[in-house]
Amino acid sequence: MSPDVMTLMALKSAAAGAVALAFGGAPLGVLMIARRLSLMGDALSHGILPGVAIAFLVAGRDPVALTVGALAAGLIVAGLSSLLARTGKLPDDASFAIFYLTALALGVLLLGKAGRADELEHLLFGSSEALDAGGLMLAGAAASATLIGLALFLRGVLGEGADPLFMRTLGARFGLPHLLLMLLLALNLVAGFRAFGALMTVALMTVPAAAARFWAKGYGGQAAVAVAISAASGLAGLMLADLWRVEPGAVMTLCAALSFGVSALAGTNGGLLQTWLAKAHLRGLKA
Amino acid sequence: MTAIRLDNLSAGYDRHPAVVGLSGTFASASLTAVVGPNGSGKSTLLKALAGHCQPLGGRIDRGGLKPSEIAYLPQAHGLDLKFPVTLADLVGFGFMGRRGLFSAYDKNDRERLSALMAQVGLEGLERRPIGSVSGGQLQRALFARVMAQDAKLVLLDEPFNGIDARAAEDLAQLMAAWPEQGRTVIAVLHDLDLVRRLCPQSLLLARQAVTWGPNPDAVSPEQLTRARKLAESWNQSDEPSAAALAPHEHA
Repeated sequence: MSPDVMTLMALKSAAAGAVALAFGGAPLGVLMIARRLSLMGDALSHGILPGVAIAFLVAGRDPVALTVGALAAGLIVAGLSSLLARTGKLPDDASFAIFYLTALALGVLLLGKAGRADELEHLLFGSSEALDAGGLMLAGAAASATLIGLALFLRGVLGEGADPLFMRTLGARFGLPHLLLMLLLALNLVAGFRAFGALMTVALMTVPAAAARFWAKGYGGQAAVAVAISAASGLAGLMLADLWRVEPGAVMTLCAALSFGVSALAGTNGGLLQTWLAKAHLRGLKA
Repeated sequence: MTAIRLDNLSAGYDRHPAVVGLSGTFASASLTAVVGPNGSGKSTLLKALAGHCQPLGGRIDRGGLKPSEIAYLPQAHGLDLKFPVTLADLVGFGFMGRRGLFSAYDKNDRERLSALMAQVGLEGLERRPIGSVSGGQLQRALFARVMAQDAKLVLLDEPFNGIDARAAEDLAQLMAAWPEQGRTVIAVLHDLDLVRRLCPQSLLLARQAVTWGPNPDAVSPEQLTRARKLAESWNQSDEPSAAALAPHEHA
């Protein structure tokens, strides 16, 4: 095959991965923002680093080992910080910050000790090796698991988000939605990090979700808009990155940020223009 | 049945008891008003009954009620008003205790939901986000959620706060009918007129029971004065004064 065909196939596979991650990540991003847990994504994205670093030191670039290491570390960080949050002594974001800073330091130390500081950059911001078949399958699985999990538990997840105290009154098993949210988040993060980088994967979850707030009121509407923006940003970012010969993760994130800017300005659910126009209208009434 | 028995119950925070040595029984399918001055332990008692705080001493016998069979409306709601859910969603969460987490609502549930919204005067507001309605409307939705829970024990902490007088009267009438449906209702109330008219008995609290019995005697002006003095003496020290504890001559 000619290099051009190879590039085209790699690009196609990356595009499919980006769309799958949009379907998995964006609905979770909406929930994270609504629950004021956007930092949780960052926490997990750093939290997986020590796991990945250990897997890398033990097994090299073996994709299965990297994924297992990332998932294990992500679940440990998610579990521990949820446990700490339960004590109620610290705000949720503080308990996440503590764990992700620790995990980041540990990851940096491990990779630095092995003389592979360059790996750190790949892990956070992605590497040029596009999604392979295994990575693509993982992304698809993460998206499917997210959509099925949310379909089954949506009412519980929304109830837990809107009124956690009430859910606790109903009984201990009603804490499950929170755990499910964490699991799905870790899964999506792990699915995205190898191609697009852990930080950039989080960006594609939360930035489109934040943009969606300016278009829709209810959860369903926000999730749908977020998926569309995330997928569009992912695809546009891939193409531009290919055109400019740079890593895709950062370009995708900037595309999402651009959509956010447009949404905040022109959004029909409390966008800036709408708010200004409404104020001008009120002044007109007074005059 | 669902009588609730208290045996020398003490409850509070950080070892500072807000309720001390309370013994007695809330009869099955009864409606009891909990009345008392500020800081007399009313909310703490309800929290303890709901299982939200562990007793510091003594015990509560809930007759084997499961958490999902208890509905508790706290004084301050813990709602995140920016969360993207509607009033109907909020009321519908009340079904979850019985339906479980995989709750798909059937036709019955949906009909019941519209009926509940109508009963608390929220028809037409079903699809409004919870952050876009008034405090009184939100309180009515929370009251409807309590009804959706279909609980055997209902604990209400100042349920009519922020609700206008007419709507409060409607909701109070609904509440007064619950004992006939076999529910045990314990409500912290401030409106003494409402207490005398609708509640067969009261627990007058000043960290300990001042009176616990049938109305209107339980909330007579003399008893209320006694409760206030006792509460004040508690607030000044962590022990009640002997004078305030002494049985009232005219009681």
